[in-house]
Amino acid sequence: MSTKIRRIAAGVSGLAATAFLAGCAKDAPQDTWQPKGTNAKTIDDLQQPVFAIAGVIGVIVTCVVVYCIIKFRDRGQAMPEQTHGKPALEIGMTILPALILAGVGVFTFRTVFDLSKTSDTQMVVNVTGQQWWWEYDYPAQPELGIDKPIITSGQMIIPVGTKVLLRETSRDVIHSYWIPALNGKRDAVPGRVHTLRIDADEPGIYAGQCTEFCGLSHANMRMETVALSKEDFAAWVANQLTDAKSPAENTLAKEGEAVFLNQCVRCHQVNGLKKADGTPAIAAPDENVWSGAAPNLTHLMSRNTFAGASWDLLSQKCRADVWGASSETVGKKYLAGVSEECLNQTDLRRWLRNAPAMKPMYADPTKLTPTNGKYRGMPNLGLTEDDIDKLVAYLSTLK
Amino acid sequence: MAIIERPTTAGGVELAPPATPTRAQGGFKRPVSTTGWKSWLFTVDHKKLGIMYGVMAMFFFVLGGIEAVLIRLQLAAPEGKVLSASVYNQMFTMHATTMVFLFVMPMAAAFANYFIPLQIGARDVAFPRMNAFGFWCILGGGIFINLSWFFGGAADGGWFMYAPNSGPIFSPSHGVDFWSLGLQIAGIASLTGAINLIVTVLNMRAPGMSLMKMPVFTWLQLVVQFLLLFAVPVITVALFLLSFQRNFGATFFDVSAGADPLLWQHLFWIFGHPEVYILILPSFGIISEVLPVFAKKPLFGYPFVVFSGAAIGFVGWGVWAHHMFASGLGPVSVAVFSISTMAIAIPTGVKIVNWTLTLWGGKLRFTAAMHFAVGLIVLFTIGGLSGVTHSVAPSDTQQTDTYYIVAHFHYVLFGGAVFGLFSGFYYWWPKMFGKTLNEKLGKANFWLMVIGMNMTFGPMHILGLQGQPRRMYQWTEARAGEGFFNLAFWNRIASIGSLVLSLGILLFIINVIKTARSKERAPLDPWDARTLEWMTSSPPKEHNFDVIPTVHHLDEFFHRKYEQDPVTHEYKQIATAEEILADQEAHADKHIHMPSPSYWPIVLASTLPIITIGVIYSIPVAIVGGIFLVLAMFGWALEPSTAPETDFDPPASGDSTKELAPLV
Repeated sequence: MSTKIRRIAAGVSGLAATAFLAGCAKDAPQDTWQPKGTNAKTIDDLQQPVFAIAGVIGVIVTCVVVYCIIKFRDRGQAMPEQTHGKPALEIGMTILPALILAGVGVFTFRTVFDLSKTSDTQMVVNVTGQQWWWEYDYPAQPELGIDKPIITSGQMIIPVGTKVLLRETSRDVIHSYWIPALNGKRDAVPGRVHTLRIDADEPGIYAGQCTEFCGLSHANMRMETVALSKEDFAAWVANQLTDAKSPAENTLAKEGEAVFLNQCVRCHQVNGLKKADGTPAIAAPDENVWSGAAPNLTHLMSRNTFAGASWDLLSQKCRADVWGASSETVGKKYLAGVSEECLNQTDLRRWLRNAPAMKPMYADPTKLTPTNGKYRGMPNLGLTEDDIDKLVAYLSTLK
Repeated sequence: MAIIERPTTAGGVELAPPATPTRAQGGFKRPVSTTGWKSWLFTVDHKKLGIMYGVMAMFFFVLGGIEAVLIRLQLAAPEGKVLSASVYNQMFTMHATTMVFLFVMPMAAAFANYFIPLQIGARDVAFPRMNAFGFWCILGGGIFINLSWFFGGAADGGWFMYAPNSGPIFSPSHGVDFWSLGLQIAGIASLTGAINLIVTVLNMRAPGMSLMKMPVFTWLQLVVQFLLLFAVPVITVALFLLSFQRNFGATFFDVSAGADPLLWQHLFWIFGHPEVYILILPSFGIISEVLPVFAKKPLFGYPFVVFSGAAIGFVGWGVWAHHMFASGLGPVSVAVFSISTMAIAIPTGVKIVNWTLTLWGGKLRFTAAMHFAVGLIVLFTIGGLSGVTHSVAPSDTQQTDTYYIVAHFHYVLFGGAVFGLFSGFYYWWPKMFGKTLNEKLGKANFWLMVIGMNMTFGPMHILGLQGQPRRMYQWTEARAGEGFFNLAFWNRIASIGSLVLSLGILLFIINVIKTARSKERAPLDPWDARTLEWMTSSPPKEHNFDVIPTVHHLDEFFHRKYEQDPVTHEYKQIATAEEILADQEAHADKHIHMPSPSYWPIVLASTLPIITIGVIYSIPVAIVGGIFLVLAMFGWALEPSTAPETDFDPPASGDSTKELAPLV
């Protein structure tokens, strides 16, 4: 090819790359080109040159085609030579891409095995998907201060710079755990345990989303991984290990506890919650929900999203403050949890009033024949506004 | 000049009766209509069936397109409210199902049916009744799948229908039942079509046409038929397992009974990946015909294009798990499938190189067909290269199930398969209907489609790489990022693009109507074409060729029109298409044997939806359908080979212009 064409190709590819980058959103929370963890960086280091090579080849092919269109347009020239091909050229044009791909293949091969390495894992979290939220269960790991298992949902908390092994499975259909800044995705398949290793370079809230189509509310199955400094993580663990305290007598929250005991505890566990007769209140989601699980709400207000991480527990202003915080301050702000004044009352009340209206679920009691009467998702509980006031007051105490 | 075969007498001597029954033992006699709706309903003519495939596919293209526009309207703004979550899930499932199974596949089958016999110099396909049966199956299957819209909702599990989400618990409507059983019926069409065309191509080529003198379109369609022959049984098995799980309580994908849901993924993609090549290779074939004609030179590297097509056909079986890089296969499988996927890029690249070099040094005429063909080269290259970026498995774990993949396969399937089919429309329309589609409208059609498709699918690269997953009925401002060019902006552009694209397709439909109304006849050889299908009248006679041509060259028709001067090596025209046709008509074959129409293909095919309806709602109905099926098979087997003398219109004794020359 002539140098002229090569120069045009280089120019056009440079322009195309610039246009593409300028055309991108800034700070998209799920940007795959902004790795913040070891594995995500390993992937990015591999993919950037591949994108570049693909881009250059694309530009060359386009330029050659455009050149042909201009140069060989019918201008009344004589019938072209009826050539059937040039085998040497053909073989060359077969070997050249094969060599390029062989090069890419070698690096791909190495990266695949690098990414699958789990032997130097420093922490384990069991991650379970179900329609349409994620549950995280931290097995006891005394060296990390986790003396007994912790169960939480929606937001997974990890210590910064720690190699965390996720052991994924599902209680119903296939889901996929994906925090683009930390690693690629891995499907959570019922009946199987798949592993995925993540770690975060610096404290922050890393957004993700279920990426395997999982039915009706697939779009509303989000998650975050929150990386905290080692000290902040220890503080978080210490808080999670405590039981919920019953609100003081004669408060709205105490009345809310009664509503909770009457309604919510059928599925939602609050550790330390006692029935009126003093016996522990044990949730039985397996009797009511097809997947057999519902989020543990003991420390609901320590997270800042709810309902499959699809809605904020924080009001707009407070959310912006926490999510937009620098890596130095984000930990403290996150650990402050959801205060009374920061609580996003609107969405929480809407949810309590009629959850399926907000997030599509299989929760119509008249249409549960296929599941033997069990819900998939949270039903409309038919709570009165009075009950909702009380419940919000109670839930606010679950720090 | 329609021709119906009938037993004849030769010089008053009664000929020996045919070996097959002459009386109607199976209930029906053979139909004889040569005009009117009956001539279409009971036809076994490959050209009529080809047109019927095309009309059906076009209908479903519009339907699938409406579904696509609804999807884009829903996603035009955050928290879209056009569709509910449930309807959205049905919409994207049916959009893909319709476009893959009911548009691209039957449209490719339309071209295959119409042009393979013409390109190889045959009078029909090997099994004409089976050909008709296939068409009625895919039409029945397509209608059956879409009936679900009116019976409690369509399938909502995505076209990949992953277990266990497709099970009766997670998809309680009958949508998935209609989907799996309807595809089962449609699959019969692919299977019978594949067998039919393979036999036709291998056995019925004109004398002298060795495999390496066969037109590339026929070659690549042959590869496609082999892919279908082996891939369709796999999806058939998978669909049977799914139907048994849903309708008869089987537990093939039930985790609580010890099943592994990944079984479905392997079965689906062992079918699903060859399926991708089933969709794209026919279009590769079409532009491999169009480019040489409008470049006035032979396809560059014919054997390389043929063998790379065959290579794609083989390697296509070893790449299915690249759809499953995130499913937890383990590093060894992932690495192997990653490499095999890269390997398949090589034969695909060979094709792009050859098309480009076909243009090189040519005398390019930019007709509408050529516009689409050149458009395919560029757009498919973009789709192919984005494909290479996610053959890199680690990279794919970031990209899979995001809009980046949606962008990739729409560049491949819309920019590739659909552009190829449109190129075929403009190229072959004069042959099929004797009228040329309006070129001006055609070029406007092309530009609207190019702009529309790049506006729709181009931004999806950015959406996907910036983290927007697929199959979400809503997206939110909160994850759209900052800046003017945030994801909200690109979602809007994509939605506007889909409207531009629709406008382009509307223009095509207008063009078809306008052309149908026009009185202007197309010249016999409007493009100065190179292959045998142009060596007969337009539209071709029912028996295709008056004389079965004897083939001496690749691009036989070209070599009958042009001759190389032995001294100057320049090509001179030695004959026109009209002269060649006139010569053929003057020497028409005396023995032309054409199959008679038949009632049985449509009767047999119509029993299948009865069975499937019964499987869903009431087993006795299925049994009744089964009995009809068996009876129809007997009717088919016992059908007389021709109609009785007296049934012909006009009867044999009359002065019939439809009658064949007597058998001598």
